[in-house]
Amino acid sequence: MAAPEAHHLFHNPIADHSFSTDKTTLAVARDSSVELYRRSGNKFSLTDELKGHEKTVTGVDIAPNSGRIVTCSQDRNAYVWEQTPSGWKPTLVLLRINRAATFVRWSPSEQKFAVGSGARVIAVCYFEEENDWWISKHLKKPIRSTITTLAWHPNSVLLAAGSTDSHARVFSSFIKGVDTRPEPSAWGERLPFNTICGEYLNDSAGWIHGLSFSPSGNALAFTGHDSSITVVYPSAPEQPPRAMLNITTRFLPFNSLIWKDENEIIAAGHDCEPYLLRGDESGWQLTGTIENKAGPGAGNAREESALHMFRQMDLKGQTQADTQLQTTHQNTISTVRVFEAANGAVRKFSTSGVDGRVVIWTI
Amino acid sequence: MAQLNYRTINIDVLDPDSSINFPMDTLLPATLPEPTSSNAAATVATQVRQLLRGGDPEGALRYVLDTAPLGGDDRAKEVHQAAVIEVLQGIRQSEMSRVLEGVCAGQGASERADCLMKYLYKGMAAAPSSSGSKSVSPQSTGGFSQIQARNLGEGGGGQQMSVLLNWHEKLVEVAGTGSIVRVMTDRRTV
Repeated sequence: MAAPEAHHLFHNPIADHSFSTDKTTLAVARDSSVELYRRSGNKFSLTDELKGHEKTVTGVDIAPNSGRIVTCSQDRNAYVWEQTPSGWKPTLVLLRINRAATFVRWSPSEQKFAVGSGARVIAVCYFEEENDWWISKHLKKPIRSTITTLAWHPNSVLLAAGSTDSHARVFSSFIKGVDTRPEPSAWGERLPFNTICGEYLNDSAGWIHGLSFSPSGNALAFTGHDSSITVVYPSAPEQPPRAMLNITTRFLPFNSLIWKDENEIIAAGHDCEPYLLRGDESGWQLTGTIENKAGPGAGNAREESALHMFRQMDLKGQTQADTQLQTTHQNTISTVRVFEAANGAVRKFSTSGVDGRVVIWTI
Repeated sequence: MAQLNYRTINIDVLDPDSSINFPMDTLLPATLPEPTSSNAAATVATQVRQLLRGGDPEGALRYVLDTAPLGGDDRAKEVHQAAVIEVLQGIRQSEMSRVLEGVCAGQGASERADCLMKYLYKGMAAAPSSSGSKSVSPQSTGGFSQIQARNLGEGGGGQQMSVLLNWHEKLVEVAGTGSIVRVMTDRRTV
């Protein structure tokens, strides 16, 4: 495995990050603005700043094909940014929510995007040509608490949402005139808007931090504050799932996860490094950390002379300055995203965290 | 009409959207075992004592953790808690690691480890059994029912506390920090 490519952008937490399709543009949410970085050589340099939100930006997503950027913030607004010759032009989207927006993602079709919020609703937004504005429809039932995370099914109709009421749910966000009728799947056949295709709670009931559909869309994995990962394989509409596997770990909770392929999951969170899980319907197991700490760790070991040791003891009352973590990330990882995938398998993924770093990992 | 002091009205109770009106039972999984009574818990306690006397501390601990009354009433939980503490105190320090490795192996190992961690925290939170009813004024903590009056480690409680802390240290080595996190999130209280 090649060494991870770390970019230390600034000393603020990164709530969310997103790369453009050609991987030359990187958007990161920093405080109440979104910063755009451009790759030059092997570094990223600041090129643009999207200002408009009044409070902390909680989500940012670049549409892969159209290049439009959607952002959402605690000021309860979402903006769609389009590139014009005179710069980035924002369009306000009326979300009709009375609490912070917490998470935003484009659907794979790029016709819609979904915004999670603290108002116990998910706003599914689509563009209406006639009126030339973005309309939002609310997914409401049966959400009992703040939506913390969202994930789209490859068919752009099914939407998975994780909430602080500890439930992971799969909804239909079918909008007439925007979506084409999806193929029937294990999640459901007829899918009018707000159909609940699945509602899952694991035994130890931690509030959900991250969730993701498998590449085929036939399985859902979610992770919560109980340091466990649950994988659900649905059987048929209105039926209990074929298998629901819960993998409890000995680590601190994970914040985000992605599927590497149908049989592998990458998860990262409060332990500051990504972990790999492997399995299938019959069982899942944590195989270990992805980070190869022997390399950078050995490089960091400096000359340890007696003089140095006593000087450190005199100055700091300790022989070694152990303020640095062994991991690439120096603080909690908040987002894991696919960076490069080929033939249904992820080759590279990117992580961002509270330490202001964006790291690109090669598997 | 009687004078109503509007300042003393707890408006959160009247707001259906308020967090205090959150239905906590929605966080209980469907796999929750049947409610058990304190009589059943007492029977378990007798069996555990027999196992312990028979020189099988590992079996005793395994049995008492597998029969935890997750769905029981407060009384059943109290009786069971006493049985768990008895087992923990009945195991010598030199045997702890061996017993723990045995208990945290095989099927349902992670559930047992998490269950033991719940009992350790509950034991540390509860007032020592010697001074029974002398608990600090009960406070409604709303969400976290596992956190009760704090044991300040006086008198007989001090010894029990040191046993629990020893077990805690050993258990974290085996089950990791994830187990502690699960004590906080899990609504299936012991």
